[in-house]
Amino acid sequence: MKPESTRASRLYRALLRLLPFDFRSDFGPEMETVFHEQNAEAKRSGPTGVLKLWWETISGIFRTAPREHLAMFAQDARFALRMMRKNPGFTMAAILTLALGIGANSAIFSVVNAVLLKPLPYRHGDRLIVIQQQAPRAGLLDQPFSVQEIEDYRHQNHSLDSLVEYHNMNFILLGRSEPERVETGVVSWNFFDVFGIQPLVGRTFRAGDEQPGAPAVLLLSYEYWIRSFGGDPTVVGKTFTMNDKIHTVVGVLPPMPQYPDENDVYMPTTACPFRSSPAMIEDRTSRMMRAFGRLKPEVGIRQAQADLSAVAANLQKAYPNIYTSNLDYSVKTIALRDELTQNARPTMLVLLAAAGFVLLIACANVANLNLARMVRRERELAVRAAMGAGRVRMFRQLFTESFLLALIGGGLGLLLSWGGLNLLVSFAARFTPRAREIHMDGAVLLFTLAVAVITSLLSGTAPAMAARESVANSLKEGGGHATLGCGSHRVRNLLIVVQVAVSFLLLIGAGLMLRSFIKLQHVDAGFQSENVLTMRIGLNFTKYNTRDRQRAFFEQLLEKIQAQQEVKNAAVTMVFPLNGSQPMTGDFMMEEQPMVPGHSLPLADLRVVSPDYFEALHIPILHGRAFTRGDRSGAQDVAIVNRSAVQHLWGGEDPVGKRISLDGGHAWVQIVGVVGDVKQYGLNRGAADEIYFALAQTPLASGDVVIKTVVEPMSVARKIIELLYEVDPNQPAARVQSLEQVRSDSVAASRLTANLIGLFALLALAIAATGIGGVMALVVSQRKHEIGVRMAIGAKPAEILRMVLGQGMALALVGAGVGLLGALVLMHLLQKFLFEVEPNDPLTFAGVALVLGTAAVVACYIPARRASRVDPMVALRAE
Amino acid sequence: MTPPSKPSHEYGPLTPAMFHVLLALAGDDLHGYAILKEVDLRTNGKVRLSTGTLYGIIKRLLADGLVVERRARPAETQDDQRRRCYRLTSLGHQVAAAEAERMDEVLAVARARNLLKKTRTA
Repeated sequence: MKPESTRASRLYRALLRLLPFDFRSDFGPEMETVFHEQNAEAKRSGPTGVLKLWWETISGIFRTAPREHLAMFAQDARFALRMMRKNPGFTMAAILTLALGIGANSAIFSVVNAVLLKPLPYRHGDRLIVIQQQAPRAGLLDQPFSVQEIEDYRHQNHSLDSLVEYHNMNFILLGRSEPERVETGVVSWNFFDVFGIQPLVGRTFRAGDEQPGAPAVLLLSYEYWIRSFGGDPTVVGKTFTMNDKIHTVVGVLPPMPQYPDENDVYMPTTACPFRSSPAMIEDRTSRMMRAFGRLKPEVGIRQAQADLSAVAANLQKAYPNIYTSNLDYSVKTIALRDELTQNARPTMLVLLAAAGFVLLIACANVANLNLARMVRRERELAVRAAMGAGRVRMFRQLFTESFLLALIGGGLGLLLSWGGLNLLVSFAARFTPRAREIHMDGAVLLFTLAVAVITSLLSGTAPAMAARESVANSLKEGGGHATLGCGSHRVRNLLIVVQVAVSFLLLIGAGLMLRSFIKLQHVDAGFQSENVLTMRIGLNFTKYNTRDRQRAFFEQLLEKIQAQQEVKNAAVTMVFPLNGSQPMTGDFMMEEQPMVPGHSLPLADLRVVSPDYFEALHIPILHGRAFTRGDRSGAQDVAIVNRSAVQHLWGGEDPVGKRISLDGGHAWVQIVGVVGDVKQYGLNRGAADEIYFALAQTPLASGDVVIKTVVEPMSVARKIIELLYEVDPNQPAARVQSLEQVRSDSVAASRLTANLIGLFALLALAIAATGIGGVMALVVSQRKHEIGVRMAIGAKPAEILRMVLGQGMALALVGAGVGLLGALVLMHLLQKFLFEVEPNDPLTFAGVALVLGTAAVVACYIPARRASRVDPMVALRAE
Repeated sequence: MTPPSKPSHEYGPLTPAMFHVLLALAGDDLHGYAILKEVDLRTNGKVRLSTGTLYGIIKRLLADGLVVERRARPAETQDDQRRRCYRLTSLGHQVAAAEAERMDEVLAVARARNLLKKTRTA
């Protein structure tokens, strides 16, 4: 019985396929014979013997196979490293290209992984939801909650484990060396339990802490603890004074993404004087809290939405005058995870796509470099083939080389992205509080390894295929003068077209973003930010507890500031433009329009400013007058409206002289002027309808000082703060910055995104340009003989130059054409990133074509010139 | 492949399976199946090599120059084209001897510590 005919032998042969090809071809037939003999003997000792033999055989092969594969890889790797050392130019170029391609991907992936893929760092993070009240007809999509509303939703829902509230306040903390303004999160006692946050030191809040009259307690955020107390654990138990009350520190929170805001300290709701005031608790429309819930384990977000909508319907029934029918009142639930990442998602995905494109170009380029190198390695490969190296063996060797290149490139790329990590974190922080979770961790390493493997497959396939063809040719031609076949020419050309096309796409993307950003920067914001200093002053409201005291403080401060010779104007405003604050919207009554029951009043953003505000910010007075010193308490209350309000609320009619009321018609405020629109909430957003009130008539407990200077504004900051201390030594100022800085920060996200995409596009352009240049150089060196003949029969150098240039440019042109089509299809995906620029903006397309064309000409010119200088005699003699 | 030239003691310690293969070949030139049988016999069936393990070892021994393929095939009738015989080289002898000596030293220690009851003769 021949061994190959039995089923056992067939099975054994199949098993042998687990071993490396070389091993198999060396020992396979012999192993089959031995197994056949073993099998024959085992059969004689019965079925147990056969089973035992199979068990030993299979486990033996499984033990041997990985070892042999590894040994083979080690051997191939040694050979590959030798080849790499022999061609340092190629090796450097390939590694650098791959490092850039893989590094870009690792870097962006580290962000995507931390921000979009990882679960939230909160226990049961997938069950946490954000609850928003909406009144779309009034333009309110995220209306805060009042105390009563929180209570109603908490007690009437059936889908939540817990519902907690949050709001942010600014308090002055006394008890350290200087009075300090601290960002304070005011939360339900079980807020941290719901988020599953364990304290680092001490404890979090307990139910007893939120009882009315309970001793006031504080939790410190990790950052504040490190910054202000140097991480001293004995801070727990220490007392500080806030709002004229003694507060005891009970614990420190762990490092974690703070949401919704970065706070210094946290207190329970009863400790906040505003939140616990009777007026706040009793008024259903005094809204300042945000609400979060944790779903019951078996409840999905849709069920919760339906459940909370039912509560909303109950409220509408119970309070028809508050939730009026024309508001279209509703409640919305959003998964916290989505809420935390929705701003970041589109940007991150676009960047990931851009990085992927860069890698694609890098792969195409390395594949081309490899192909070019194959020309020089033909003889080596032919010899190896002649010595019996099988096709599989050669493939394996070439892939090992590609893999090593990708691995070294990937390692270098990882270093590059690690170097840029801090930049990326600060970039991502513009979009999401999860930015602090960005690290180079195991997932990023694994991703990089996977990318390296894919890269080696992508960049190694073409050369391996070409090698097969070339070896076949070489052998046919007896190892003589063979060149890579026309098939591989086509592959090389195709790779160039791919590089140019993808570069074109990236350049278009970057160009559009850049144009958008430039437009955004030059947008008329309605105010001038040059030479304006701003700072936030929140008064200690226990000390400044009357309107007179508040008014007196700011008047005194403004007087002192105004007296400085570096200062042109100084003013106080509730909030200056672009400072990222939430709208403060209020409804009002127009004297000439009677109230319709069941209908809401007109809404506008309400602001309070001192007389010089419009002048300090160069906001034009379009009609009527600005506020004056005469607009005092006791005089006729006055207001100024902006142009948008005139258009939308007064139907374009001149409102000067008309009267409005904020308190249902008890007190009437006369409109005395119309000012220009200001982009309050972002340069890319429209102006809101605004009504300004006079500071002297509507004093503020907290305001921003804006100072127009005649010198560089930050240079007078120290002086102004000293003036502030002269007025009240216990009064800190916060967020001291120039308005220019504020404006620049407001477009930082667009700027950084445009910069990153631009960087990727430049990388792509550089790689593609060297790619075209490299291929044309190879073509020239391969066609030296032909060029020599042409010149010998009378072709002029200029013609040769034109010929080579023409060939290179033809490839670039085809690539650009493909890229153009791709861009027309893909660029609408960028629509939401663009500002006043169309996705098919002809100027950008033309500009990119010019840049790409120039790069291609420069890249082709060098080899073309070399071709035109070929000495026909030398070229022909070389044959 | 040229056998690497390093001193024989630097090849040890060998794996038990490798040592058994060398011991088997120290008696006579053998083909694969005969090596398996010999090892099986010498160890009373305690060491059973599978084909995968055996040829993994043979590959290494060939690469290290401890064994060679015997050029002239014996004119046995059952011998077919696939069957190759292996012969221990002088380096293979030295390495096997060095390993045996090393084990002997270990055994001497074991005896001195009364871990071995009686002296066995090979």
